[in-house]
Amino acid sequence: MKTLVALWRVPSARLALLVLFGVGFLAVFGGALAPHDPLQQYTDEVLQGPSAHHLLGTDYVGRDVLSRLMEGTRLSVVGAVEAVLIGGLLGVPAGLASAWLGPRLEWITLRTSDTLVVLPFTVFAIAVAGTLGNGLQQAMVAIGVLISPVFFRVTRAATLGLRKVQYVEAAELMGATEWWTLRRHIWSKVLPNVAVTAAHATGSALLVVASLAFLGLGVTPPAPTWGGMLSSDLGYLAQQPWAPVFPALLMMATVGSLNLLADAIRDATGATAAPRRRTRPAVAAAAREERPDVVTV
Amino acid sequence: MSSPSEENPVRTTLEVADLQVSVAGGLVAVQDVSFEIRRGESVGLVGESGSGKTLTCRAILGLLPATGRIDGGRIVLGDGADAVELTGARRSTWDQVRAVRIGAVFQDPASYLNPSLTVGHQLAEQLRVKGSLSRRAAHDRAVELFDEVGLHDPAGVFHQYPHQLSGGMLQRVLIAIAVSCEPELLIADEATTALDVVIQAEILALLRRLRDTHGLSLLLVTHDLAVVAESCDRILVMYGGQVVESGPTDQVLRDPRHPYTQALMGVATIGSWHRRRLDVIPGQPPAAGEEMPGCRFAPRCAHATAACESGPVPVADLGGDRTSRCVLAGHLSLSPRVTTGQEVPA
Amino acid sequence: MSVAAPARPVALTATGRGTVPAVVRRSAPWLRSLAGVLAVTVTVLFLASVITFVLGALSDSNPAAAALGETATPADIDRLNHEFGLDRPLVVQYFSWVGNGLTGDLGRSWFTTVPVTDSIRAALPVDLSIAALALVLALVIGGGAGIGAALSNGGVFDRAVTLVCSLLGTLPPFVIGMALIVVFSVKLQLLPAGGYVPVQDDPAEWLRFSILPGLALSLDVAASIARQLRTSLTGELRENYAVGAEMRGFGRRRVLFGHVLRNAAGPTLAVIGLAIPLVIGGAVMTEKLFGLPGVAQLALQSAERGDVPVVLGTLLVTAVVVVIASLVINVLQTLLNPVARRGDGTAGVAR
Repeated sequence: MKTLVALWRVPSARLALLVLFGVGFLAVFGGALAPHDPLQQYTDEVLQGPSAHHLLGTDYVGRDVLSRLMEGTRLSVVGAVEAVLIGGLLGVPAGLASAWLGPRLEWITLRTSDTLVVLPFTVFAIAVAGTLGNGLQQAMVAIGVLISPVFFRVTRAATLGLRKVQYVEAAELMGATEWWTLRRHIWSKVLPNVAVTAAHATGSALLVVASLAFLGLGVTPPAPTWGGMLSSDLGYLAQQPWAPVFPALLMMATVGSLNLLADAIRDATGATAAPRRRTRPAVAAAAREERPDVVTV
Repeated sequence: MSSPSEENPVRTTLEVADLQVSVAGGLVAVQDVSFEIRRGESVGLVGESGSGKTLTCRAILGLLPATGRIDGGRIVLGDGADAVELTGARRSTWDQVRAVRIGAVFQDPASYLNPSLTVGHQLAEQLRVKGSLSRRAAHDRAVELFDEVGLHDPAGVFHQYPHQLSGGMLQRVLIAIAVSCEPELLIADEATTALDVVIQAEILALLRRLRDTHGLSLLLVTHDLAVVAESCDRILVMYGGQVVESGPTDQVLRDPRHPYTQALMGVATIGSWHRRRLDVIPGQPPAAGEEMPGCRFAPRCAHATAACESGPVPVADLGGDRTSRCVLAGHLSLSPRVTTGQEVPA
Repeated sequence: MSVAAPARPVALTATGRGTVPAVVRRSAPWLRSLAGVLAVTVTVLFLASVITFVLGALSDSNPAAAALGETATPADIDRLNHEFGLDRPLVVQYFSWVGNGLTGDLGRSWFTTVPVTDSIRAALPVDLSIAALALVLALVIGGGAGIGAALSNGGVFDRAVTLVCSLLGTLPPFVIGMALIVVFSVKLQLLPAGGYVPVQDDPAEWLRFSILPGLALSLDVAASIARQLRTSLTGELRENYAVGAEMRGFGRRRVLFGHVLRNAAGPTLAVIGLAIPLVIGGAVMTEKLFGLPGVAQLALQSAERGDVPVVLGTLLVTAVVVVIASLVINVLQTLLNPVARRGDGTAGVAR
């Protein structure tokens, strides 16, 4: 709560929070408030620019862009949030465990994370669709699993860093149980890092969901999503520039806000640098991870 | 020690006149600093941190921090036909002056060498770029120079990376680079500070030897009077951005004419190494940009009078190449120790 | 200049760091870190193969259902399952799959019975050549922008680069590709919007067909490179050794390219290594967008009809490609950094 108040004082964070609040509102109520049926094809009003009847124009089969955008927000956002939640639920406990529970587990979790980092989002999502079937749930689980190494690394790094900090040592000397230490000191320092990562990851997940929509994975047409609208409408950019502009703008605003918010959280809480998209080069970093106690020169 | 004689007129290597430097948007950090360094002379610039000595030397090297600015005065390198005005010099002028006419070594030598190039490469690069030597000749000359600055196995050291050498060796490497193009002036900014005492003495001896063999003028910037006492012909004492006293080293140390110099000698371990008492100077030095109408040392000075704080104190010429920025400089012998003392276990 | 001769016999008596022979002291940690990298690589490849195999095992598609459709009788299903070895225990299946994979046999398509390796071998060069072109373009564009931004530190160019990089990062990559098609193919009619000519057939034609996909693929990475290079360069330029190089009377260009860039390259290489999965993943989009006959198209088509062996093969090969590329980056980083080369320090990691 205190952090939220501090964030509100930063102009860029305030803007980002307002945009995200708006997007959240659209995600919940957008479908109900849409002026038209997002699937209704007004065949005599194909590829119209903005007008009083269609505020943001119509797409290539005459569907109302504004309504599709409002309806599509839910599917786009819910998908991305779901993927990030899965990633966080997998990555954060694994990160804590690997820093706390001994070298063997550490090695296994590190190598698993290296492996997941090696798999490209889209190819993995295709493989999941090809083996487990094409659907929003499968796609989100796939993205979530691949996002989890980011959470894992961030949590692990923050925990490892803190383990060496003196006040944690002091607490242990004073007889605090490990669990108490973990909860009390570590968690309060790990959380900001996780929050920063979550904001970045949500932005990345939105982009990946959109990319999958372009490949025809995840949400299947005609149900509207930002990515789906972008990929179908961009083909008509030459004839009618309006239709793809609005989903693109909404997407840029949302992802941009998430990045701004992440930076603001980092500045406000002193969390360490958040990785963008993927943390580190898989193998290169892994080799160095062998000696976590090496002093950086 | 070089002394001027009639048939060989005194030539000036560096002249600094009324130098004024400000930092962080107008805070005056160096004011009215004037001195000159003669050919073959070694001058010690002494002061505690924040006294402006490093800024002065950075101004001479054209390496002021991003917020630093020269507000007035002149810095002239050389005299006669060779004279170059360094205040407001362009990058191209600097590129012709640096290394070729001014060399410099600093504290923390490791950080001044590129970590991913061998030290030999870095010296040879200097010789090739500034000395126009061929690759082959540069290598041979580099090995020679490494030998000259006292590195064992110079040919082996040539292929070492900075992280493979110790601090003392790195300082020797930097000195070799600094003198490689036969500059007139070598500036050593706290060059021995981080080294242990034995190495420090060796490096100082090396600098003295190079002064003689290469005909260098030396500007030694340090907070340590002992270093100056050992190696310098003349001494400049800086306090609060001003030169408060200057003169031949032996005379200044024997008979200081500024209370600050005297206080400084109280905290230094020169003279008697067995002295049990180490003094502290009470109070804090003034911050950069602090407005003080009178003597900047007055608030901490045991001899201060009302006259000290009322208006600017002029530099008093005491004759015999000595100056002091103290109202009492002419008629007060500052021999009795007046600062508070503190017992230090031997 | 000779770089990387870890076993050059040099007497180190003067360093006073013990009596271990110099050669051993220098090369042993190097060998050890090499062994570490190899161990990690093998483990990562093993885990990747397990993940891939598990995906296949979890799948409820089978060759009979896939190939014969609804007309399959139980007898047909059993016959085909036996033919593809799917009636064996999973562990046996895994080891035979991996074992065959090591000899270059990843099974056959359930539909066309074409060996998976053949299909991938035909498609992979498309991706590799486009990805290589994209990396080169990214290096040129991102490197130029990063260096320019660092030099104009805080100036107009710097801010423009930062802005463009931030905006590029808020759009899915295919949008940029589509915009490029509209501008260069549809409006200006300069370049083809789709199609492919293998590089070995006609390099000029290949370039004509590849430049747009390559560009589309590169921009994302170029943004990362520019951002990282700008950060490390401005950091390095403030370092004492950069000041020292300036003090030695070296001109701006020599300081930048001869001294600073070398040290800023480490973190930038790390960023490139990190971007490799993105490039390969992005290649999927690019292939679909430009109609290139690459691995991703193969995977997509196979995924649509549930052709599990092909899907698994493409995933595994992709992972192997990424791992190899990361290894190359790792080696380059080590070569650039003498401290890491000795194995007693950490090379620069992306900040």
